[in-house]
Amino acid sequence: MLIGIDVGGTYTDGVVFDRGEVITTTKVPTDDNDIKSTVLQVLDKLLLQQDKSDITRIVLSTTVVTNLLATGKGERTALLLIPGYGLPADAYDISDDTFFLKGGIDFRGRELDPLDEKGLGEVCDKIMAAGIKRVAIVSKFGNRNDNLEKQARDYIKKHYPQLSVTMGSQISGKLNFPRRATTAYYTAITSEEWNRFVDEIDRALTERGLDCEVHILKADGGTLALQVSRDMPCETVFSGPAASTMGALALAEAGMNAVVLDIGGTTTDIALLLDGMPLYASKGASINQRYTHVNAFAVRSIALGGDSSISVNAGQVAVENYRRDVAACFGGKSATVTDAFNCKFNLNIGNPEFSAAALEQLAGSGMSKDELSTTVVTIVINRLQDVITDMFKEWENEPAYKVWEVINKRKFTLEQIIGIGAASRAIIPQLAETMQVNHLIHQYADVANALGAAVARPTLVVNLHVDTQTKIYTLDPGGVRGTLDNPRNFQLENARQMAKKHLQEVGKERGMASYTDESSFFMEEQFNMIGGWDRTGKLFDVGIQVTPGFIEEFKGVKI
Amino acid sequence: MKPTGILFFPAFDWAISPTHPEREERLLYTRDQIFEEGIMDLPQIREYQPGLATDRDIARVHFCVPDVAAQITEAHLVSAGSALRIADAYMEGEIKNGFAIIRPPGHHSKTVSHGNRGFCNINNEAIMVEYLRQKYGIKRVAIVDTDVHHGDGTQEIYYNDPDVLFISFHQDGRTLYPGSGHMDELGGPLAYGSTINLPLAPRTTDTGILYALEHLIMPILEEFKPELIVNSAGQDNHYSDPLADMRFSAQGYARLNEMLAPDIAVLEGGYSVQTALPYVNMGLIMAMAGIDYSNLREPDYDPERMRENPANLEYIEKMVKRQLQVFRQREEQIANNRKTRDRFHHIHKQIFYDTDYIHEDQSVQLRLCPECAGFRLIESTAQHRNGYYYRVYCVSIPANACASCQAEARSGYTDMSGNDRYDLVYLQDRVNDDFRSIDIKKEAEKVL
Repeated sequence: MLIGIDVGGTYTDGVVFDRGEVITTTKVPTDDNDIKSTVLQVLDKLLLQQDKSDITRIVLSTTVVTNLLATGKGERTALLLIPGYGLPADAYDISDDTFFLKGGIDFRGRELDPLDEKGLGEVCDKIMAAGIKRVAIVSKFGNRNDNLEKQARDYIKKHYPQLSVTMGSQISGKLNFPRRATTAYYTAITSEEWNRFVDEIDRALTERGLDCEVHILKADGGTLALQVSRDMPCETVFSGPAASTMGALALAEAGMNAVVLDIGGTTTDIALLLDGMPLYASKGASINQRYTHVNAFAVRSIALGGDSSISVNAGQVAVENYRRDVAACFGGKSATVTDAFNCKFNLNIGNPEFSAAALEQLAGSGMSKDELSTTVVTIVINRLQDVITDMFKEWENEPAYKVWEVINKRKFTLEQIIGIGAASRAIIPQLAETMQVNHLIHQYADVANALGAAVARPTLVVNLHVDTQTKIYTLDPGGVRGTLDNPRNFQLENARQMAKKHLQEVGKERGMASYTDESSFFMEEQFNMIGGWDRTGKLFDVGIQVTPGFIEEFKGVKI
Repeated sequence: MKPTGILFFPAFDWAISPTHPEREERLLYTRDQIFEEGIMDLPQIREYQPGLATDRDIARVHFCVPDVAAQITEAHLVSAGSALRIADAYMEGEIKNGFAIIRPPGHHSKTVSHGNRGFCNINNEAIMVEYLRQKYGIKRVAIVDTDVHHGDGTQEIYYNDPDVLFISFHQDGRTLYPGSGHMDELGGPLAYGSTINLPLAPRTTDTGILYALEHLIMPILEEFKPELIVNSAGQDNHYSDPLADMRFSAQGYARLNEMLAPDIAVLEGGYSVQTALPYVNMGLIMAMAGIDYSNLREPDYDPERMRENPANLEYIEKMVKRQLQVFRQREEQIANNRKTRDRFHHIHKQIFYDTDYIHEDQSVQLRLCPECAGFRLIESTAQHRNGYYYRVYCVSIPANACASCQAEARSGYTDMSGNDRYDLVYLQDRVNDDFRSIDIKKEAEKVL
């Protein structure tokens, strides 16, 4: 039996899922100040009717880190940047406690300027004087050569042992220094709090005698063993939308081009499935308007949901971005979006007479309740449609760097709209009709998020960069750097094997060895380096991954 | 404030040959640098996706022999199409300026294209300018060629067009490919002074180039009043370029673009792929986006080695003075040419395609019209690499041609359409956006 728990902004959902069927569901209001208790409350409710020994796996999607970053309440951390030449210092507006160190590395990983240790010492004195206990060190091209970062870390460990150090090269092997700096900084500021949460969950599960696998859902729709997540708290951001997208994927027909709308009380999360694979945010997760190296689905959230309040001001109808109460048909005080759809399309949701009465009252003497609901429906459908169209366009307008990619550019042909979340039943059928495409609202649509978490499998991405002239290779994750044994005869096949081996090793460490056989290469680049008219070496970039998918025991959902 | 548009198309799967300077690796380190800097994430920058040019876009500028498909690869369509895309973004007001970092390059391609010259088959800037003239009705354009090699293709295409100002500074043609771009190449009889060349001595530094920019190029631009300024942005004036011998730096390139303030920059040459391009491209982007570039420099930059020779500066000052004078006398000179010259102006030339080893023999007749800038009748012969010997006849009607020139030129096309001296007869009518050709042996007309 599998348990999935999805902590949302308003409610936390939980399901017990077994052999294609949802056995139990539960829902409690989320206490943002004590997410651990909310999770345990849901867990205890789910366990009431189950034998604990039947539970084989628990997956949590939490908002702990997302909230921490949004409220800026993370641990105060000094960001030490080694940018070398290039953009001006004011381009890096990431931390209030940012310090710049001298030193430089280029795109080939060659050291251009040494680290200024004396300057580092002075910076550390300032950091200590400010009472800061944690630092993140990130150098430009540190992903190609982490020597300066390591040298700085070793210096700090020796002279300032009280400081904890996070290094950018450990966080990501991808290009983009500001994103690496941001991700390293966010990792550092959330590390303490996240580890406390993991400790508490760990303890609570032991107290309950649960001895099963426990995973955390990541922004890329994959899971991560609870213990492994300690080093990478940032991976857990935006796991809510990831849970709903994985839920939609679990309920939908395979291989479709679809749009997923998770319509809740006051927000709608929209994601795209291309040939049945969720679309990723090409620039990584954007946290507090800053791009990061966190792999995340391309999800757009808009402040519009079933409980969104309706107002009429001097004849002008508006759908507000806030909620006063539940819909009138469920006993709420005033008319909401759900009431308008209920009334307009005779949906018989809750008590339709209450919907009609609330709309009648709001419409006043200037317009009829039918005119009001028609206007609200038009506003809602148009807004959703605009966002969806915009997302297609954005995907179609992704940059391309090869002739092949430009010539073979595809257009997005929408085949299905998948609705999940409580309010989707009212809105999705009308949206689908307007967009002239079929729709799916599964019987489990209301708990698709928790279900998605329960059945999601672990994911892993490995990136390898090889330079046969400098004889250096770097592997991510883990910031592994080494020297090639056979640079002269090194070929793409060697690079593939090397990346695959790293994937298997990391997979084993993370307890996901059984999934590493299902990996696929998503990037294979090789370039000849020419000096004069001769080849002086080769550069390889190879990427291999275990894509988002489902655990082996998941064989679909019974209809 | 509107962002700066960047279209980065490195064509990682296109090369002239594996070890050629125009190879896959050329913009690899530029990619590494601009991606690592995260400059595309900045609010001052908007990245654009490549586009595709059509055969018509190309035929608006070139007579491709025997046809467009024979002269290009898909990479050329993407490269030219990308220039059009960034130009559209500029004209639609989405961006304050734009930089197309694209390859393959184009500025050595002339009106007739029998093959590849100086790494170029089709001229990206000219295709862009004619596209903009057709689509948005702009008339006056300035193209400033900042590549170390003389932009002989662009110069030839606009040599007789008084509405396109072409300025090129470059390493003196007596010391470098393509060997042209001398002081006395000043435009055709009716477009005198709208072509300005500044051949610079080898080893000219930032100081010399920026002097010419400030004292010649900027004043000319101010007086010419173009609706659009294009930087044909080669990066091989750099001190580390393996194919040339100048002493320009990344800081110099940034300062140049800050002062020039081009509306659109299009990458041309530049083959110091590791030591120059990552930094020069950063400099261009930063300058165009108004980002402080004082912290930018090449790792091996040594200001001591980059001091200008006083004698050279004096030489540049003299050239600047003379060319400014020529430019200011252009209207007088054109009026005089109109009065004194014959009805047609004849030119005969030989063009060598260095990449493809093709020798072209060309004779041009330019109608010296009292009303407009005239039209061109071009007869061209060349033996292609496949051994076939082509003889073609081309009629080119510019966008600003008067009604009688249009009629005369079109009848020239009709008159030649059965002439078996030629393999192909072409019509390029920019006024009506009509591009066609006749295969004489097959007696088949192709309308693009």
